Amino acid sequence: MEYGSIEREIHVDAAPEVVFEVISSPVHIRQWWTAETEIEPTAGATGELVFGERGTPEAHIAQITVVEAQSPRLFSFRWVHSPGEVATATNSLLVTFELTPAGAGTAVRMTEVGFREVGWEVAVLEEAYREHSTGWDYFVPRIGEYTKQLVSSR
Amino acid sequence: MSVAIDDELWSAIGDPTRRRMLDLLLIDGAGTATSLSEQLPVTRQAVAKHLGVLDRVGLVHVSPAGREMRYRVDDAQLARAVAQLSAVGETWDARLRRIKQIAEAIERGKKN
Repeated sequence: MEYGSIEREIHVDAAPEVVFEVISSPVHIRQWWTAETEIEPTAGATGELVFGERGTPEAHIAQITVVEAQSPRLFSFRWVHSPGEVATATNSLLVTFELTPAGAGTAVRMTEVGFREVGWEVAVLEEAYREHSTGWDYFVPRIGEYTKQLVSSR
Repeated sequence: MSVAIDDELWSAIGDPTRRRMLDLLLIDGAGTATSLSEQLPVTRQAVAKHLGVLDRVGLVHVSPAGREMRYRVDDAQLARAVAQLSAVGETWDARLRRIKQIAEAIERGKKN
């Protein structure tokens, strides 16, 4: 089994411009990632993803740096590098969203690479994310039967 | 295999030095605080401390070996830890589902 990357594809019944906006703008990132951020969707922009309430012991803050932003077809960023560090291939994970028109909608291909180097830490962060997403129980599939169904239906 | 996330287990392997130690123990089959410290840029005392953390979460087994303690990796516990990494992928599935829901709601709104 390869732990170096995650790859997913999903069809969205919305135009690539809409999907790009959802993926890259803070107002929507707040919804789908349950993280507060003020990141600008432009190449080289840096910012933070705040999981949980900032200033509380439970809050987890992840750094994020936009690598490429080519509306409406490509959005990529690096994350989980340490504060003050420049994101590189060895200290961060690279997430890429590729959007391709498909019928009236969009084919979204998402990859996350870098687990071979930093996968353990990000798993810790992901756990934090899960803990803080309790307000999203309706959407967030719990680990268990539901995710098994999700995996088997892909 | 259970994929329930174990905080303490993750904290234990969240440290790069401890992961390197696990690598060395897997490569060598077993090791002591002294043998590990010879291969790592940390002191024997620091290694011993890290081994204590790994021991507490069941990632290593300890047995006396002369004046030292010998450590081996617990294969089952390590496999369990590694399996949890797949949970990260499942988390992305959830995010992508939300992206889909949000985008499609916006698209529907445009048409109405």
